[in-house]
Amino acid sequence: MIRIAWRSLTAHKLRTFLTTLAILLGVAMICGTYVLSDQIDRGFKNIFTDAYKGIDVSVTRKAKFTGEMTGATAGLPESMVSQVKGVNGVAGAYGYVTGAGAVAVNGKVVETGGSPTLFFSYAPGDISNTTYAQGGPPKAPGEVSIVQKLAKDHNLHVGSVIDVITPGGSDKARVSGVFTFGAESSLGGSLLIDTTLADAQRWFDMPGSVSAIDAKAVAGVSSDTLAQRVKAALPAYADVKTGAQAATDQTKQISDAIGGFLRPVLLSFGGIAVLVGAFIIFNAFSMTVAQRRREFAMLRALGASRRQVLVTITGEALAMGILASVLGIFVGLAIAAGILRLFAAANIDIPHSGLVLAPRTVVVALAVGIVVTLLSAVIPATRATRVPPMAALQEGAVLPPSRFARFAPYFAGAVAVLGALGIIAGMYGPGNTTSRLGTIALGAVLVFVAIAMVSKYLIRPLAGLLGWPLQKVAPVSGRLARDNSVRNPGRTAATASALMIGLGVVVFVAVFAQGLKSSFIDSFDKVVRADFIVQGKNFIALPSDTANLVQGVTGVQTAAGVDAQQAQIAKKTTAVYGVDPVLFRNVWKFDWLKGGSDALLGQLGTGNAIMEQQTASSLHTGVGKTVDLVTVDGKQAKLKVIGLYRDPIMLNGVILDNTGYTSVFGKPQLFMVFVKGDLGTGAAQNETALKAALASVPTADVQTAQQYKDSIVKQVNQLLNLLYGLLAMSVIISLFGIVNTLVLSVFERTREIGLTRAIGMSRRQVRATVRFESVITSIIGAIMGIIVGVVFAWVVTTKFAGQGITFSIPGGQLIAFLIVGVIVGVIAAILPARRAARIDILEAIHYE
Amino acid sequence: MSDMTETTLQPGSTAAPTTCETGTTIGMDDAVVQARRVTKLYGQGDACVHALAGVDIDLQRGAYTAIMGPSGSGKSTLMHILAGLDRPSAGNVWVDGVEITGLKERALTQLRRDKIGFIFQTFNLLPTLTAGENIVLPLTIAGRKGDEAWVDELVATVRLGDRLKHKPAELSGGQQQRVAVARSLASRPAVLFADEPTGNLDSHTGEEVLQLLRHSADKLGQTIVMVTHDAHAATYADRIVFLRDGVIAHDCGRLGRDQIYDVIKSLEDVG
Ligand SMILES: Nc1ncnc2c1ncn2[C@@H]1O[C@H](COP(=O)(O)OP(=O)(O)O)[C@@H](O)[C@H]1O
Ligand SMILES: [Mg+2]
Repeated sequence: MIRIAWRSLTAHKLRTFLTTLAILLGVAMICGTYVLSDQIDRGFKNIFTDAYKGIDVSVTRKAKFTGEMTGATAGLPESMVSQVKGVNGVAGAYGYVTGAGAVAVNGKVVETGGSPTLFFSYAPGDISNTTYAQGGPPKAPGEVSIVQKLAKDHNLHVGSVIDVITPGGSDKARVSGVFTFGAESSLGGSLLIDTTLADAQRWFDMPGSVSAIDAKAVAGVSSDTLAQRVKAALPAYADVKTGAQAATDQTKQISDAIGGFLRPVLLSFGGIAVLVGAFIIFNAFSMTVAQRRREFAMLRALGASRRQVLVTITGEALAMGILASVLGIFVGLAIAAGILRLFAAANIDIPHSGLVLAPRTVVVALAVGIVVTLLSAVIPATRATRVPPMAALQEGAVLPPSRFARFAPYFAGAVAVLGALGIIAGMYGPGNTTSRLGTIALGAVLVFVAIAMVSKYLIRPLAGLLGWPLQKVAPVSGRLARDNSVRNPGRTAATASALMIGLGVVVFVAVFAQGLKSSFIDSFDKVVRADFIVQGKNFIALPSDTANLVQGVTGVQTAAGVDAQQAQIAKKTTAVYGVDPVLFRNVWKFDWLKGGSDALLGQLGTGNAIMEQQTASSLHTGVGKTVDLVTVDGKQAKLKVIGLYRDPIMLNGVILDNTGYTSVFGKPQLFMVFVKGDLGTGAAQNETALKAALASVPTADVQTAQQYKDSIVKQVNQLLNLLYGLLAMSVIISLFGIVNTLVLSVFERTREIGLTRAIGMSRRQVRATVRFESVITSIIGAIMGIIVGVVFAWVVTTKFAGQGITFSIPGGQLIAFLIVGVIVGVIAAILPARRAARIDILEAIHYE
Repeated sequence: MSDMTETTLQPGSTAAPTTCETGTTIGMDDAVVQARRVTKLYGQGDACVHALAGVDIDLQRGAYTAIMGPSGSGKSTLMHILAGLDRPSAGNVWVDGVEITGLKERALTQLRRDKIGFIFQTFNLLPTLTAGENIVLPLTIAGRKGDEAWVDELVATVRLGDRLKHKPAELSGGQQQRVAVARSLASRPAVLFADEPTGNLDSHTGEEVLQLLRHSADKLGQTIVMVTHDAHAATYADRIVFLRDGVIAHDCGRLGRDQIYDVIKSLEDVG
């Protein structure tokens, strides 16, 4: 029986190939995701292990919480260094200041592609991992040493002068040396700058403080022992770790950042691809079984048991699943390597190790590939066992309908309800985000399956509708194509459904992104009255006098800065903004709730706050109530809520007076400056004047309100394009599915094609018939995908309505997706159409 | 036909050595199909089969010709070559004045569309189209509206008026074959080829189809070439060409059933 299975696989090479390819690509995406993220993980691990090599104990200040906008912690008092030195077993200890900033060469900020430019105050060579290629470490104030990549890229050497931009402002510095860090010339795209401790303290506003203290043990004292002793000697706010632990923790932090976003995103796209592949396998096996019913009947007539027939087909599926998974793993390795190469080409330097093929990757890839293939073949295989031996003798006997066939619509209904429940449970139910997303995904899969099941009933009307114009254009080809596509509605439905899934997710993403964009623009237009916006490049806080610099420009009416940082209120991380109580109202139009007004800004003082209404309701607070705020350094403040406003997009959080802000956080952290200009002198002139006034702040990025909006829209679009790229794989897989179906369809209709050719149909007409059938199928898939995607997006945006995301349909894009559907159909038809046109008339009419 | 007469392969004497007592002389000037020294080889070397070993034949306009002969004598091969479905290994064929042996695929398609009608033994109809749609299929393929009166006349002739909306699966074998006849006539082909059109029918329904073909020849002046090994079917023809081993053994006029049996018998005796 296994031999029969093998024969059948090799006899239908094209179908085997296409079916294998469908599952292979999905497996490859999953495998590639794991390999890539493992490589990046290990890359970071290597870096941090290097960084902490030779360090036995590392002390930092405990952070109250971690977040994206927390800013640097206040650090440790410099006096603690001698405290550490005094601990029994410490051979040496030093404190250093570190922080993120930027450097400018010839007045231009060095772009790092999103990676930070990190400053470290110089550490003694025996304890740090820097190796000097040129010159030496900074000794005098105003000296820095730089990482080799920076020197190479910008032709810097000992004696060159660069601008150093930090939260403390901009300063000139002289290069004293060029170093490499561990084995790397840069740390994952980040730039490293070594400074003297005094400079770093000045530049990062940390007089008398250090960010961390590293210590080395004397021989004979283990890191663990030393860490315990240091811990005992220091106050509770000091976070004492062994060097190894610190390296692991930092790796984990980055891994979690990757694992929390990149991996699930990539895996879910791999999952979508696998799901599409599953449809194609199901379809391919259904077609095989239908085509080979006489063979099965004969086997049965010759005494084969049902079980043996089942084994034959399952054997085929198993062989295909194993083949696809194993090949998929190799392709996955190639994908991972390819993506890293792409990053490198785009100058995004992500640290990564060599290829990592973890056992987990192999197990998951094999399991997914084989299990999905087997599951997809189960139903067709069971159908094959029901072919009665009699069918061997009958001409054109069809498969008996399943005993359960008449329950199919109810079953589909049940699956749909289950899926919908999953989605609802995921959206509104309890549990953490990951498990809820999982429930939503499972629900979505069930809904897709249910739609695929009922879509069988939609094929006839839809094909009729789509075939009508085709028939007008090409009476014969259009008509035959339409007829052919409804001859086996189940098959057409499964083929179209594969495309529906990929396109459905594309549409969902598109509609959701459109909602994001339009709600952003709407709320920007609603609240922002500024003509220009000044931001720090690379997320570096602007110098605190930026607003003053701008205010001095002729033509500027108001320049109002906004400080921003994250803090925790009632254990929830919330954005906290600081605004000028007088100036801010000139650039902002608050949407006040319940009798609030701009006058409230004047009443903020140091103990009051206004709150975005969503934030307030999620914190279960309101006007007149007091909340407790904790900063990342552990500073605490009590704030009384004196007003609520609506602004879910722009300033969603808590707003304080800027003096209140400084008293809570200890220092300002200027995030943006909103500028209202005197448009009478001309906007362009204003812009030039602004830029000139900010020449001393190279990190300042001046944009008009329109440019700012465009840049946000552009960011969303970039993300969107990335997602489209990932989803393209699913669409390509469904294309193979269409090819598969068409090849079989052509094969089955050899005689018909021969007949029509004999009575005068041209090859071109034959090709058109196949192409039209393909396009009908693909448009049905596209239409279903568009509908499903729009409905999903509507459901989800409804859920997020509170966050200000509106439901908005990108009409132009939907039309584009429909066109994509047509193109998929046309491409899928190329090979089958050529086959059909090549059919030999004589052979065809004698074909039995 | 005028340019035909100028070719070097101008038809000479009657198509083949006629040993048939009832052999007829047919006027040469109005041949719709002409074949000269047509041979067809299958395979190579020792396994080489001469399916046709030099056939010359002229088919007169309006004539109803039957091609008979033992199984494997080359009947189907000859018909396919005359109809432009197959290419001869050597020799030339003209259809309605056009030399078809050298035609490209596209031109052959055009030829089949405009000049030739087909009826096969089985599977003449597209299962998804109704009987009526099948009948006008050649016209639809050619993108022609066709002559509605003519189509109506055909429908009436094949007595299918009440079945036009039915799918082939809902028709009996005889009805299906009648639809096939109507279909093959719809585009008013210069010549109609039928390969064992009654081979799959019982004698009664076969009779209907044969009468229909006879009727087309008589009333519509349709040129018909019918391959058959049924002696009764051949009695409807004006001319019967007997093949043996790829050559024309006898070329006769109308024959009765018994006479046909005699010829067949003589062929077998020689063989
Ligand atoms: N495609 C083919 N390949 C090889 N031999 C063929 C082919 N078609 C026909 N023949 C051979 O050519 C001869 C004539 O065949 P055919 O024209 O089908 O005869 P008939 O229709 O009179 O039974 C036979 O010997 C047959 O075996
Ligand atoms: Mg034959």
